[in-house]
Amino acid sequence: MAKSNPPFMSGVPELLLLRLLENREMYGYELVRAIREVTGEAISLGEGVIYPVLHSLERNGSLKAKRKPVGGRTRVYYALTKQGRGRLEDLQEDWRRIQTGIESALESPSHA
Amino acid sequence: MREPDFNALASRLLRNGVAPRHAHRMVNEIRDHYDDLVDAAVDAGRPIRTAREQAGRELGSFDDLVNEVSNRRELKTWAFRYPHAAIIVYPLACLAALPAMPVYAGIANAPVLARWGASLLAAGLLTAGLLLVLQLSILFG
Repeated sequence: MAKSNPPFMSGVPELLLLRLLENREMYGYELVRAIREVTGEAISLGEGVIYPVLHSLERNGSLKAKRKPVGGRTRVYYALTKQGRGRLEDLQEDWRRIQTGIESALESPSHA
Repeated sequence: MREPDFNALASRLLRNGVAPRHAHRMVNEIRDHYDDLVDAAVDAGRPIRTAREQAGRELGSFDDLVNEVSNRRELKTWAFRYPHAAIIVYPLACLAALPAMPVYAGIANAPVLARWGASLLAAGLLTAGLLLVLQLSILFG
């Protein structure tokens, strides 16, 4: 049976966050700056909206959060878990499948 | 521009059923994020008023944030996730707790109860002693 497609944009913040946290732990503000940098500012979101996604990922075991005192403030750093790596692989696979499908649709002659 | 009302945001999240541990931590993180945005704008040479306006815009609307959190069932309290079960479980839990309340109250106020019990015992012994003396004086008086 063909795998169903996830909602087009709903998994994008999740995918980006997991990808960015693959190599090192980061806190929210750092993650938003990193998203801007790696996407060439192509994706901009209300910055506060990142936190519900981070909390959901933590709740489902993809991330773990740790408080660290830095420069007089307590930062919440997020790190990828083993389960999160698996989730990242699934999301990457989904994304590539959609990307391939859309590219093929764009390259094919119009049926209109 | 005034600082965004983070306390009001926390209240809205809690009213929408977000678990307190998520609501409070999220608001603290967002407050720190706002402070970082203001610091970055000030470092870039903006006056504090402009820096706050810019930070507020970049942070985004609290309405969007509340909607985003409210759509995530996993961040909500047990009672909001399973409202039908909560309607049954909460009253039953209250009924089950009723017999335990006096025991709990006794344990919580143990020193006061011990003093009260000791006073009653002393008063009882004193009264019994007086009655005994009276009885003996009637018998042998």
